[in-house]
Amino acid sequence: MKKLFFTLILAATYLSLTFVSCKKTVVNNDPTTGKLQINFQNYVDGSPAIFDTMIYINAAGNHYLVSDVQYFISDVTLYKHGGNSTMIKGWVDYHYIDSQIPSSLVWNVYDDINIGDYDSLAFHFGISSDKNITGMFVNFPEKDMSWPDVIGGGYHYMKLNGKWLDVNNIKAGFGFHLGIGQNYDSLGNVILPFIDNSFRVSLPSSSFTISGGVTTNINIRMNFEKWFKEPNIYDLNYWGGGIMQNQGAQKVAAENGWNVFSFSK
Amino acid sequence: MKSISHKKVFLLLLIATNIFYSCKKDPPVTTIKAPTPYNFVIPKGFPTNVNIPANNPLTVEGVKLGHYLYYDDRLSGRADEGKGLSCSSCHKQINSFENGTGKGIGVMGIETDNVMLPHINLAWNPGTFAWNGGASSIEEDIYGAITLQSEFASTWEKVVAALSAVPEYPAMFEAAFGTKVISKELIAKAIGQFVRSMVSSDSKLDKVLRGEYNFTNSERNGMVLFTTESGADCFHCHGQPSNPLMTTNLFYNNAKDSSFNGIGDRYSVTGNHNDIGAYKAPTLRNVELTGPYMHDGRFKTLDEVINFYSEGLVYSEYAHPLMHKVRPPYGHGAALNPQQKADLKAFLLCLTDTSYIHNPNYAKIHL
Repeated sequence: MKKLFFTLILAATYLSLTFVSCKKTVVNNDPTTGKLQINFQNYVDGSPAIFDTMIYINAAGNHYLVSDVQYFISDVTLYKHGGNSTMIKGWVDYHYIDSQIPSSLVWNVYDDINIGDYDSLAFHFGISSDKNITGMFVNFPEKDMSWPDVIGGGYHYMKLNGKWLDVNNIKAGFGFHLGIGQNYDSLGNVILPFIDNSFRVSLPSSSFTISGGVTTNINIRMNFEKWFKEPNIYDLNYWGGGIMQNQGAQKVAAENGWNVFSFSK
Repeated sequence: MKSISHKKVFLLLLIATNIFYSCKKDPPVTTIKAPTPYNFVIPKGFPTNVNIPANNPLTVEGVKLGHYLYYDDRLSGRADEGKGLSCSSCHKQINSFENGTGKGIGVMGIETDNVMLPHINLAWNPGTFAWNGGASSIEEDIYGAITLQSEFASTWEKVVAALSAVPEYPAMFEAAFGTKVISKELIAKAIGQFVRSMVSSDSKLDKVLRGEYNFTNSERNGMVLFTTESGADCFHCHGQPSNPLMTTNLFYNNAKDSSFNGIGDRYSVTGNHNDIGAYKAPTLRNVELTGPYMHDGRFKTLDEVINFYSEGLVYSEYAHPLMHKVRPPYGHGAALNPQQKADLKAFLLCLTDTSYIHNPNYAKIHL
């Protein structure tokens, strides 16, 4: 019997080693947290943007088209009903959106978000000066957003490229590029300090609920026409094709940015 | 006792059988040594994402083999006909692995559609090789080059036969890839490895970034012009000190023409109307050595290029939006004065890397 017992133990051990070595995936459904997926949309006048087609008219009466847009948002903060807030950090605390890179239009936020009702969502448009440091992005495509050091350094907040019909009925290119601003003296030399033109966006009517073990989808929409609309009418014939070194235009754009974004579920 | 013994025997047999069938047979002992991983060093400030295919990692033996093949005019498979040609026939080290004369001329005397592009820092190319991005890898580019009438005008059968007849190659292929059997795929892989190993990171600009050199006033002024929208606005397409590749590797219609024939442009690859007349913004590293300039070599000197961007832009509805300085009837470019042009050129010359064009690791070699 002893021998039988020994043999059975041996066989059981062997079979255990054979079969138990296969891993089982354990699903951990934490009921106290959920996930958030943010989808980025590009709209003009209430409809999905049609790129590269001269079909839009802005508030200044400029006929225009949009070719592409790239921008950063950062410091995304979720405001919970009751007053608490959570800043999304994940691996990084910014997100790059590029109309020509579909994967960038969906942000699966890494963080586990506490369940509950959230009243609103806010974020920084661009990257605030304390974090907007040259060299922080090592690789493309973010690296291509570099804002030259001589005019402030760091990275573009946004590149919105397109064309408009100018006063001579020419399809002229524009780079509505927003970033760190500069003041210049009468000789054209930069007067320090540089100007942080990034701004905070608080999305109106942006309540949503995070449920345990579930991914909640929300949409952040950029409405292109609003960059040119209020409180300032932005006339492309006046400001021209390039505005990286035009703090007047940067200021107007930053002021108009307050209602460029909207929220939906 | 008897029945217990049977059970015991049965269990032992079961275990033995299970072990026997679950264990793989050891492969026969081989004497082929695995190739040695190549130490690819990423220079300071360069992207850490490099485009080295998973199925063709760099190895010491592979790079060495590719180096020999790159310079071997038996690569045409037609050397016995007096029509030898190698990569280096057109991609000359002294010209930053470009030909320095314009369009290439293949073994049949036929010109290439466009001028050469230099072989430099291609490990960072995102998979859009050639002026129109039509080749997704160096290997794919090589596959095409061998059969193109304007290049090698050969067949892979001839190439494989010619290289197989070289006594040293089978052993070198074995060292690099574990087989003495030479094939199209392994030839392309070896050359791909060598080309990816070619890194330029020792220009004056690199030295400035490393704190080893200070720009002269003229060079600094040129850099400011290069990197400002109100200046020459080169950086949007060609990078800047924070992007030392000096290219975005993207495609732009840079306002050279008012009409387009579509030959070899980005449109010929994508079919997207916005890509009509668009070509890759090539790296400006070693730009001093890689004229003539533009995809068709229309400008012979850097001065001509600077004059073009200063006052020679041509309007078309296909010009890229970033070319916003072309706005007829007034706007034809950056409108630089002579001093600004000289300064801009001084900065462009800071992108010359003489150590690259004399690096023995990339120099002529032959069996």
